[in-house]
Amino acid sequence: MSEPLVLGIETSCDETGVALVRGRELLFDAVASSMDEHARFGGIIPEIASRAHLEAMVPTIRRALAEADVDLAEVDAVAVTAGPGLQGPLTIGASAAKALSVALGKPLYGVNHVIGHAAVDELVHGAFPERAMALVVSGGHSSLLLVDDIATSVTELGSTLDDAAGEAFDKVGRLLGLPYPGGPHIDRLAREGDPTAIRFPRALTLPKDQAEHAYDFSFSGLKTAVARWVEARRDAGEEIPLHDVAASFAAAVADVLTAKTIRACELHGVDTLVVGGGFSANSQLRDMAAERCAEAGITLRIPPIRYCTDNGAMIAALGSALVRADVAPSSLDIPVDSSMPLTLTHV
Amino acid sequence: MPAQLVLSIDTSVAVAVALTRTDGTVLAERSSDAARLQAERLAPLLAEVLAEAGADPQDVAKVVVGTGPAPFTGLRVGLVSAQTFALAIDAPVHGVCSLDALALQAASTLGLEPGTSVLVVTDAKRREVYWGRYSVGADAATLVRTAGPGVALPAALAEDGTTTGAVVVGPGASLYGDVLAPSSAAVHADAVTQPDPAVLARLASAAAARGDDLDPAPLYLRRPDAQVPGASKRATG
Repeated sequence: MSEPLVLGIETSCDETGVALVRGRELLFDAVASSMDEHARFGGIIPEIASRAHLEAMVPTIRRALAEADVDLAEVDAVAVTAGPGLQGPLTIGASAAKALSVALGKPLYGVNHVIGHAAVDELVHGAFPERAMALVVSGGHSSLLLVDDIATSVTELGSTLDDAAGEAFDKVGRLLGLPYPGGPHIDRLAREGDPTAIRFPRALTLPKDQAEHAYDFSFSGLKTAVARWVEARRDAGEEIPLHDVAASFAAAVADVLTAKTIRACELHGVDTLVVGGGFSANSQLRDMAAERCAEAGITLRIPPIRYCTDNGAMIAALGSALVRADVAPSSLDIPVDSSMPLTLTHV
Repeated sequence: MPAQLVLSIDTSVAVAVALTRTDGTVLAERSSDAARLQAERLAPLLAEVLAEAGADPQDVAKVVVGTGPAPFTGLRVGLVSAQTFALAIDAPVHGVCSLDALALQAASTLGLEPGTSVLVVTDAKRREVYWGRYSVGADAATLVRTAGPGVALPAALAEDGTTTGAVVVGPGASLYGDVLAPSSAAVHADAVTQPDPAVLARLASAAAARGDDLDPAPLYLRRPDAQVPGASKRATG
């Protein structure tokens, strides 16, 4: 039998993603985004996202099928994000996937969005080695995962205790007066600044933190430190050196993320690191990860940016891995779980 | 055998599905009264009605869905399920206002006389109701919506004359009977609890015959809650 053809549906935030994957090959990935409708609110409004998902669902499925030149009847399984994410948006994708499952008589797989961000790399760089580390960083997540088998055995080593990395960038962007989402603007400013100009704090990196939080992150205090620094300059009537603030802040985030991740690789005897999620587009993180992985002899795998943002391909990729591993399908009554544990690859 | 069945779905109050023949004969019906569990309950019920009728999804010639008005998340479960099910079997999907089914069910259950006014009210949360006002036609099988659908505080409907002389029915009648009763002809709190999808299917056929718009678009009747943020708060005092 040929490799399974899996339809993947992703609706955990503002992107409606639908993709078709055969085995580890991506046939087509269609994405519709409602980001433009959220920008003026300075954040994702779940109800606006949900309304957009309902409108976009059928057209996005149609487009993916047409571009992949596939008929729905050929699909072997339907995979969908079951969590974590926003409840209302998740519900749209899950309902669509379940109805397709019933109508097509094909199995349903409710999968984990964060683990999907790692799984998508199989479509780009091929099968994972026996053991890999995955750093998933986005506007909603910052998690360090030990991957023994992407379909059946993922361990969460750590995650953010407060803000996600991308969220911290957006918040700092706001306090610097940059448009939403602020991440790309800070990245651009930081490229022309001095990352050592201001010594911002690196949370949870002291020896006393290592017993409980060796692999956890915290970016809320860093954001406040930037705010205090900027307010003090403004109060004194001084100009804010935007490039240096951005570079020093971005360096603090990249430093903590990469230092903890490399240490985890070394302590767990892992020589492959996968970085995924929308924040992996950040150039300070990419540069520092490349440099430190090279020093440590670790193979770094970062998919191209279009695979790192939310999309259906990551869900289809994980669904395909589950089908190949002969994992039993999900039942039709599975709930969506906005805080789905990262040790569950599927429900 | 050509496809000749109609699959109907409503998730505006709780969850209800029906599989009927195009002539209206009911083959299988399922419902759940668990409001807020539409996403968990709907798909298993779809599978169950198909199984009970011994039907294949490809036997379905048309999908009909209640378009609300209703609280948003639950309503969307029905709409997106109907749209994607229809896509999978390459069938059309028709939308009907869910309140229309409740009005017709009430007229039939209560045996209302021609010319009677019916006010359907359902729970819109936030102390408001979704409402529609109807007039019973020459026989109890036809109703004309004379006002609505809308969303309002029950007291506002009593004040602006929407309740006047009407028989009040629907899930909102039991919640706000005391406010609605004084100005209305009667309040029948338990006459109808949730839209019957087999009735939606009949309404869709009649509407299609008249050439009405059957767009399966949600009747939200409210804008999303969203506010443009003000200036950033300071971190230092």
